[in-house]
Order: sequence, then C-alpha cells, then structure tokens
Amino acid sequence: MPEIKVTPLGAGQDVGRSCILVSIGGKNIMLDCGMHMGYNDDRRFPDFSYITQNGRLTDFLDCVIISHFHLDHCGALPYMSEMVGYDGPIYMTHPTKAICPILLEDFRKITVDKKGETNFFTSQMIKDCMKKVIPLNLHQTVQVDDELEIKAYYAGHVLGAAMVHIKVGSESVVYTGDYNMTPDRHLGAAWIDKCRPDILISESTYATTIRDSKRCRERDFLKKVHESIERGGKVLIPVFALGRAQELCILLETFWERMNLKAPIYFSTGLTEKANHYYKLFITWTNQKIRKTFVQRNMFEFKHIKAFDRSYADNPGPMVVFATPGMLHAGQSLQIFKKWAGNDKNMVIMPGYCVQGTIGHKILNGQRKLEMEGRSTLDVKLQVEYMSFSAHADAKGIMQLIRMAEPRNMLLVHGEAAKMEFLKGKIEQEFSIDCYMPANGETVALTTNPSVPVDISLNLLKREMTLGGPLPDPKKPRTMHGTLIMKENSLKLVSSEQALKELGLNEHQLRFTCRVQLQDPHSDSDTLHRIYTHLKSVLKDYTIQHLPDGTVMVESIVIKVSSSAEDANAKVLLLSWSYQDEDLGSYLSSLLKKGLPT
Amino acid sequence: MMGETEAVEIDDILDDWFIESLKSYKDLHVYQLEHPTQIIEWTSGKTVCVAGYSSGKNEILELRLPLRLLADEKKGLCAERDFKVVHGGFSEGPVCCLRHIPGTRCAVTNDGLTSDLQLWDLGADDTDVIRKTGSLPGTSVSQAGSRITARLSSPPQVLHGAQSSGVQLTQLSTGQTLYRLEVDSTKPLSSLKFASPPPGECALWWTDASAASQCRVIMLSSSGQAVVSDLRNLGGALCQAQLDVQTSPRKPEDVTVAWAPALDGCFSVSGLSGLVQIYDTARWRAELQDASPLFQHAGHSVSSQHGDGSAPIFITTHVWHPERPRTLLSAASDGSVHVWDWVDPQTN
Repeated sequence: MPEIKVTPLGAGQDVGRSCILVSIGGKNIMLDCGMHMGYNDDRRFPDFSYITQNGRLTDFLDCVIISHFHLDHCGALPYMSEMVGYDGPIYMTHPTKAICPILLEDFRKITVDKKGETNFFTSQMIKDCMKKVIPLNLHQTVQVDDELEIKAYYAGHVLGAAMVHIKVGSESVVYTGDYNMTPDRHLGAAWIDKCRPDILISESTYATTIRDSKRCRERDFLKKVHESIERGGKVLIPVFALGRAQELCILLETFWERMNLKAPIYFSTGLTEKANHYYKLFITWTNQKIRKTFVQRNMFEFKHIKAFDRSYADNPGPMVVFATPGMLHAGQSLQIFKKWAGNDKNMVIMPGYCVQGTIGHKILNGQRKLEMEGRSTLDVKLQVEYMSFSAHADAKGIMQLIRMAEPRNMLLVHGEAAKMEFLKGKIEQEFSIDCYMPANGETVALTTNPSVPVDISLNLLKREMTLGGPLPDPKKPRTMHGTLIMKENSLKLVSSEQALKELGLNEHQLRFTCRVQLQDPHSDSDTLHRIYTHLKSVLKDYTIQHLPDGTVMVESIVIKVSSSAEDANAKVLLLSWSYQDEDLGSYLSSLLKKGLPT
Repeated sequence: MMGETEAVEIDDILDDWFIESLKSYKDLHVYQLEHPTQIIEWTSGKTVCVAGYSSGKNEILELRLPLRLLADEKKGLCAERDFKVVHGGFSEGPVCCLRHIPGTRCAVTNDGLTSDLQLWDLGADDTDVIRKTGSLPGTSVSQAGSRITARLSSPPQVLHGAQSSGVQLTQLSTGQTLYRLEVDSTKPLSSLKFASPPPGECALWWTDASAASQCRVIMLSSSGQAVVSDLRNLGGALCQAQLDVQTSPRKPEDVTVAWAPALDGCFSVSGLSGLVQIYDTARWRAELQDASPLFQHAGHSVSSQHGDGSAPIFITTHVWHPERPRTLLSAASDGSVHVWDWVDPQTN
C-alpha cells in the first residue's frame, strides 16, 4: 500500500528547531531547517544523519522548503547547504528570501564575533546558500519536477510566512509552519482551501494554549510606555525593521493623539533605511484592504514621530525611541541603551526573542550587571519589559485550520504525546480523523488510499453485461477479463482484442498438449466413454461433451484416446488445451494420471 | 487570498473603556473560549476549571493562569500571557456546577437537569486527560440541578442537593450517605455553603458565608438589596444597602455573590447588571441606604463578540483569587473569560 512517511529531525522532546522530513510518492522533501537557539554545540543543528550517514544530501532530497524567516525555521539552512552539502532547489516566498540572509548574517555575526565560535557558517556560505533559492508566489503551483508540485498559501504570523501544499500524483501533504487564525493589524489570518490533503502537519507548541487578546497586549504596551513618560523617563524600543515596528508606531501615534501627549517619539535612521527597502516587498504581499489602511500611511509622515538624531539621546525629559537592531547586539539601539540603562525611571521594551550572546538576551534573563568592551561594567537600573506580539494559532486556531483544509489525517510535531492526549481525542472526535504525534527522530508511516481513476471502454462494459450474472458490487467484486493500457497520464481498461489492435500486435494462440498413459484393457471407444462418465461425475460444474468424432471436450479442452504401440493394455490419452484453459488443463492431466475408477 | 481582516483602524480599539483601563487595572487579560462556561472553579492557586453547558457533549478544561500575572517581581521579564490548557476531558451532558474536592485531584459535577453527580479525576503530571471515574445518585425527584460544595476533609466528602429536603452529605469513595438534611421544604437552592441557608421570603436570595472567620454572611435579594448579618444571628442586620443594579436575573444560577477572600469587608456581585460590581461594606450602616460600587468591570459588555446587540451577553460566573487581594476571573455567555487585577480607586 502506498505510504507517506513523516519524521521530525532532532532528538528528544526539544521545541525550538523545526526540520521535518517527508517521503511522499518516492520524493523526499525537507520542511524548514531551523536552528535550536538554546544549544551552543552541534545539538543546535538538526540531525541530518537520518538522511544519510556520510556525504552530501543532494542525492537524497528532491527539495527543501522554508516557511518563514524566523531562525528556528531557517537558522541551520546555510549549515545544511554549504557545510553538510546540498545543491538542489530551496523554495521560499519572496519576502522570506529577502529577509532571511539579513537575519542569518546578524546571527552569524553575533555567534562568531561576540561568542567566538568557530564551527559556524560564514558570510560567503550564506550568499552561496541563497543562490540556490527559488522564490514562490502565493497560490502558484510550482513543478519541482514532473511528478512533484508545491504551492504556497498565506500563513499570517510574519511577513512572508507561508503554509505549503505538496503533491505527488494523488497524494498530498500540507505543512503549516507557524501561522495564526486571527488577523493581526498588518497581517491577515492564514487561509487555505478545502484541499483535503492526506496529512496536515502542524506545530503542537501552541495547541494547548488559549491566547490572550491582542487588545490586552497593546493595552499593556501603552500602559508601560505611558507610565514611564509620566514619571519623566525615556523608553527605548529595539525593533527589527518592518511589520511589527510600524504597527507599534501607529499604535503610539494614535494614542498620543487621543491623550494629547507632548513627549517626543523618534524613529532611528537605521530603521528608516531598511524600512524603505521592505516597504516595496510588503506592498505586494498584503491585500487591498491592508494596503489601503496600513501600508499607505507612510511611516515618515507621522504627526508625532520624527527622525532620530543621536544627539537627542542626551536631551532631558521623557521620550520614546524606536531603534535597530532588535536584540541590542550592536549599532544605535545599543548605544542608546548604554546611555539610558543607569536611570531607573527609564524603560526598555523588547518586543521579540533575543539570541544568546546578545545584550537583549542577557537582560531578559534578569542580568543587572553587564560586561561591556574595555572591561567596563554597566549597571542595568532601567525597567526591562519583555512583550510578545507575535501572532500564533492556539487550540481554537488549530481546529479552525483543520475545518478549512479537511485533511484525512493530522500530525502534530514538537510535543509530548502524553501531554496532548486530550487534544488528540478532541481532533479525533470532532473530525473523525487520526491524529499522530511523533517524537523527534521518530517516523510516522501513514498508509494512504489514493483513488486511481481508470476509464473502461464501452465495448468491454457491454460485453461484461451480456455475460450475465450479478451486477458488480463493492462488497462482491467480480472478476473480469481485460487489458490495462497506461498511456501518458491516463489509464484505460479495454478488451484484449482492442488492446492488440491499438498496439498493432497480432494475437498468438498457445496450445498445450500432454500425453497421459493409462492402463486400460478396454477398447478405445469404451475407454473414452469411461473417461467421459468419470469426468462428468467429478466436474459437475463444467461443460463436458462426448463428441461423435471420438473426442471428449471439457470446456475447450480436447481429449483423445488411442492405443499404445508398445503395450496392448495401455492407452495413451492426448490432452490439448489453449493457454486460457491452463489451469483446468493441468488439473485434468493430474486427475487422469491417477487412473479411472473401476 | 488572506483570511478575514478585521478593521485595521487602530482608532477603533482606543475607546473610552480601553483608555480608562490603563489606570483602572493593573493587569487585564481577555480570552475567548470556544464555548461559554457557567463555572470557574479553583483547583489550585494557579489553576481553574471551566466547562461547557450546551445540551450535547461538552469540554471540561483545567487552565493554568498566565505566568505573567503570577510572576510578581519578575513580571517584566515574563512575556507569557496565555492560558495553558493543562488538562481536558469530555462530559456527555452540560456542566452546570463543578466543585473541586480540596486535597485531592477529584472534581464533582452536576448537569443541572437531575440531582445526580458525576465524579472526575482531573489527572496528574503524566497525562492531560480528565477522566470520569463514577457517579453518585441524588435523591431529588425535581427537574432542577444540584448545588455542590466541599471542604477539606479526610476521607473526602461532598455536600449536595437540589432542594432543601434533598441535601445530603456523601462520602466520595464509598458513595455512602453520611447525613441527610431533615427539612420540610421544596424550595430550590441557589447556592450551598457550609452554613445554613437564610430564611426565604417572596424574593430570591443569594448568600455567601465564606467570610466565616468574621462570622459574617451577606444576603442579596433579586431587587438588589444587600444585607450583612452575623452568622449567629441571621435575623438581624449588621448593615445593609441598596445596590446599584439594573436588571432582574432570569434564573437563580445567573447571580453570583462572593466575599473577597483577602479584602476585608469587600464583596462582589454579578448577574444583576451585566457587569461585575465590587462593593465595600466598610461605610455601610444599619439603615438601608444607596451604595455605589467601589469598582465595576465592564469588560465583557464592551468587548462583546455579539456586537449587533442581538442577545445581550450576561456574566455567567465570577471568582476571586484565593490569595491575591484584587485578582478576579469572570466569564460571560459569549464564551469570554477575563482575568483582571483592579486598582483601588481610593488609593490614587
């Protein structure tokens, strides 16, 4: 039976590194290639030895697909393609292709320059890796080869995030990556059609949560900013570039207007440069409505938000500054942080995850004394606030997605099976589908039931009908005789004569003959008659005839009797049958070899 | 194509209530369950149970409160704002009443249609499934559901009944009835605590006697009159007031009144006005006077999903956190569950 195999790579129950192998219709696909951000050694890379023990992966993989630019989904990509070795196609959406190399380079810089690691990919490797990328558009079917096709769907979550539909023949799989089902301000909600894949693969990480509303997250953000400003403090918000940053800016601008606040809000220059670049990407990725209400609000035309100059950091009084980079590991945001860290009236709001080795990561772990260059220490007295704005699906969201796609089976990765029995039961009950939860490194093999459409020729159908007998019934299949022709991509069932004609072949007849020696003193005609009587009593369901020309016929098998030349009491039976009656012919010869009853 | 995008206008969310909430709440969390709940029951200092009450199959969920709410000093460093579904199970019928048996991982439910009880194992660390372990038959022949209460005892016991005459104390492990209340009354009970119910009159009354250390009982009538009495002298009133309420409840179960476990003299009420109101009885007198709430939580009606006003949503239940002085959880008929930590307006 055909099978689809799914294996989340990696060991243990670790979350934080997405890399899933799918084998479907003879094709091998790698879904995401993430880095585990919690480890410093090789455990942070997925375990590629599952694919092959030695050497390059090119021959073993048909393609690699990356869902979005977060490092836990693409962080190990340059390592995989350049250090382990893979030269095949890597698919991702346009925004992912634009943003990935920047994040990878930042990540590389932090890991190598700040943490001094050596076994890591280089800048050149990132460039070489990205040369292998083929960008995807939403809802466009891409033929990876003549059998494998893929299609990207909108996932929400972050700019450029996609869910991917993979099809080989009539088997298919959908991988969600990270997605959200409630719309964000600058991103819509994930959407997919009723594609009914054999398997829907999703993360289980958020499957057992119920999300707090966006309003409350925004409320907390505005509350903290407002409280700091009111006590005369300065607020630093390190951000990446587009998307979340712009959303927070619009939120603050609207709040400032509503509350008639006077404190200045700034936007650092590094941010504006990057923002322009992504602005264009963003326009094509969003829909009409978002474009109209969100993107067209040019970020440099805010009433209350102005471009930052680094001298402003020393100005007295309250202010809010958005600056890059997002993890406080270098550049302007770090410079500003150093100036403001010593004052407990100030605040830094971290809106996202920070990689190990960055200042952002350290302060989010509660560190209040930081070692800076030149052995100086920085006392962290300002208030540190970690706020998560990332959009994820939750338990309800998973159910909504399943309702949308109508998969035949569900598969959840990165969870502990024992802790997800309830969710599994819920999915199984509500949708009557099986829910699998492989551990990392464990393979789930799912038998699929693809329907193979076959056309039957009218002549053949008519012939079968005239043979009579019961009508064909799924519970009682009926044997029929025909020839299956596979031409181009179609299958058809025709009669043998028609097949021979189409293929331009001559039909050959095959006849077997067999001689059976029998001890029988009777005359030839008596022996023949005795054979006839014997067969008639044994083979009740068959047509047996005693013909005037001195032969017995069983269906189309001919039996003749003649006397043996050597032995007067022996008879030689000649049996002759055509290929079609092979079974009956062999049976008769064995039967007659046993002799006739007396 | 993308999924539905709600109006991206940020101006929409900055409504008056939202702006006010910046000052009036320390913490505010708003959740949307798939199905509304009538019960919020503490199963530990960090976890609550909620359950559906539709006529068919329903879910029972044990939710862990968001870590950010519970992380006091380190709050800023904790970004986790979501409920975690730590255990879940299925009930064949509605769950109208659920009680956790203190000191155990056992819960008892009633479907609001008969007086029978169902017993559940809420599950330990190695599983996330809530399983039904048995049932206890009730004595009442009425069509109304039972109220249930329990306190720490060994072996575990539960007090339950649909009517005054049907109240019994049952030992959970054996199903043995230990005591039966001999009262000649068929009045439906709206709440049951380990204290005797108040004298009934023509109006419906609700009570909460959990401020047992103070020996104080609060009794609330359907017209919004609140009377505080001493447990030992239920007929007399220590103080009373007319609350600021607008609506009459449709069913007795709609109203919840509860003393604040950690705020002396404060109590909360929901079901009489579409809001959760908190009153401070400190300045109440023995003569009936009008009282204004110290604090009102309007979050459910403001952020209601049923924006078109087709069926006004109502608060199905609310509870105080057993230790945190101003933390409450409230649930409404649209499936929303709010967790809020309010700021005492008097301390500004």
